[in-house]
Amino acid sequence: MTAQVDPVSTETRLRAIQSITDAALSRLDDRELLVELLDRTREALRADTAAALLLDFSSGQLIATAAAGLEEEVRQGVRIPVGRGFAGRIAAEHRPVILDQVDHTTVLNPILWAKGIQSMMGVPMVAGGRVTGVMHVGSLLPRKFTGHDVELLQLAADRAAAAVQSMAAKADRAAVEALQHSLVPSALPAVAGAEMAARYVPGSGVVGGDWYDVFTLPAGGLCVVMGDVAGSGLPAAVIMGRMRSALRAYALETADPAEVLGRLDRKMQHFEPDALATVLYAVFEPALDQVHICLAGHFPPVIALPGQPAHLAPIAKGLMIGVSPGVPRQVTTVPIPPGALLCFYTDGLVERPGELIDDGLERLRRAVVAQSPEAACAEVMGALVGNEPARDDIALLMMRRRPDRTDTTAVAVPPASEEVDTNV
Amino acid sequence: MSDARFPVEIVNGVPVVAAPEEVDITNADGLRMALLESAARGPGSFVVDLTRTQFCDTSGLHALVGARKRAQAEGGDLLLVTAGAAVPRIFAITGLDQVFASFTSLEEALAQIPAVAGGAPHSDISPGTSALPGISPDDAGA
Repeated sequence: MTAQVDPVSTETRLRAIQSITDAALSRLDDRELLVELLDRTREALRADTAAALLLDFSSGQLIATAAAGLEEEVRQGVRIPVGRGFAGRIAAEHRPVILDQVDHTTVLNPILWAKGIQSMMGVPMVAGGRVTGVMHVGSLLPRKFTGHDVELLQLAADRAAAAVQSMAAKADRAAVEALQHSLVPSALPAVAGAEMAARYVPGSGVVGGDWYDVFTLPAGGLCVVMGDVAGSGLPAAVIMGRMRSALRAYALETADPAEVLGRLDRKMQHFEPDALATVLYAVFEPALDQVHICLAGHFPPVIALPGQPAHLAPIAKGLMIGVSPGVPRQVTTVPIPPGALLCFYTDGLVERPGELIDDGLERLRRAVVAQSPEAACAEVMGALVGNEPARDDIALLMMRRRPDRTDTTAVAVPPASEEVDTNV
Repeated sequence: MSDARFPVEIVNGVPVVAAPEEVDITNADGLRMALLESAARGPGSFVVDLTRTQFCDTSGLHALVGARKRAQAEGGDLLLVTAGAAVPRIFAITGLDQVFASFTSLEEALAQIPAVAGGAPHSDISPGTSALPGISPDDAGA
């Protein structure tokens, strides 16, 4: 005997699926939604089992995430490589597959045939034009799934894909914001002789990989880092965190900014070969009268002296991090007279679609005036961002050497030692 | 599968990806897809035509750098055609002008790619090409 599906009641149940998901779309944080959806799908199709496997992009495996009538698949953490077995084939070929024979020749997952499933039908879950998982139903009695059944399952799968994507995006955004928050200094270090202020504005829609870091060195001196990791969301934020830690570690090992960025580049190319980033790494002398800067594909700072128009610091250019191993890197030393203001920033501040980058840089140059860093930040953000939502992340850091100090014992850390060597 | 904004054309047996006026975080995945497609179709080397491009942010550069690495690992290369000031400026700031082979016309770029033996480029695609890590469409946006 084979199971039969009444098309009329299928239509009714199809509407039931639509209505529940529409209502539930507003409270997608509920992971139970996927299970609920599978349950309704199983009912609508009069199937015995239903399961959703979500694609883990990093491993290329489908992971059993929710199930109805087949809970063991989730409990045992079933993983199916894309391209293999029943679900793997659906994901790889982006099309529905119907199986009239369920055994080790057609299905990779022994749970399915051990369960006694006779017929199966699966469809890809597609969101945003890409496969994000596979949804399948099974029958314990031999059954011919029809084109109508496939359509219905596809509808449920599309709903589930949208729901899952929305949940993932929400979770991702929350994680990125938490991570971003923990990575950008909540308070800038207090350094005698220097004043600092900073702004960080995440891009609209996606959080990118911009960051900055400011820390004092044990031998005196101050480090400033600005960086921009290509990509967005959690992957970019994770790489950003790793780069920040690596830079802090290398900063303690060598005083040479070119060496620090060289080590970072080598580390990234070995452990994160797909990462790409621009980095500015600057070491201020303890007296704050000079700064040694090395650029890895990053914009040079803008410098403003009291009473003078600002200019882009003439810093030697260097290749981005993550492109080519062992590239030579140059350090440029810039004198900082008392009262001088340095403006460090990421591309989001100066890049605008439809205009040359030099136009953005010129706008920034005109907006930077030697004044208190807080006022300078406000003025630059006002002039370059205004009331427009930023498309890309923006990080901005202003550092001023106090105008009223000219002595050479500025940084409030251990007394200057012979280690403050700047052989750069 | 290929993004209409990033058409891939075969010119003299070499895949040529035409980039649009703006490449940024909103369409960089499309560029990535077109580059993967080109890598899978071509004789090893391919060209990205950036002559129309006026804006390319870090995500666009990311796609280009990744594709160049893959092409070079396969013994090929990724060549660029650029025009105007905007793209060369970005490449100068990021230092990428030192590593990418860049030309001012498509003809010049194509002249750098050795002719494919036998004159039938498609029959020369090595069987391993499409099995390269990163070629599967599922990896494209990751």
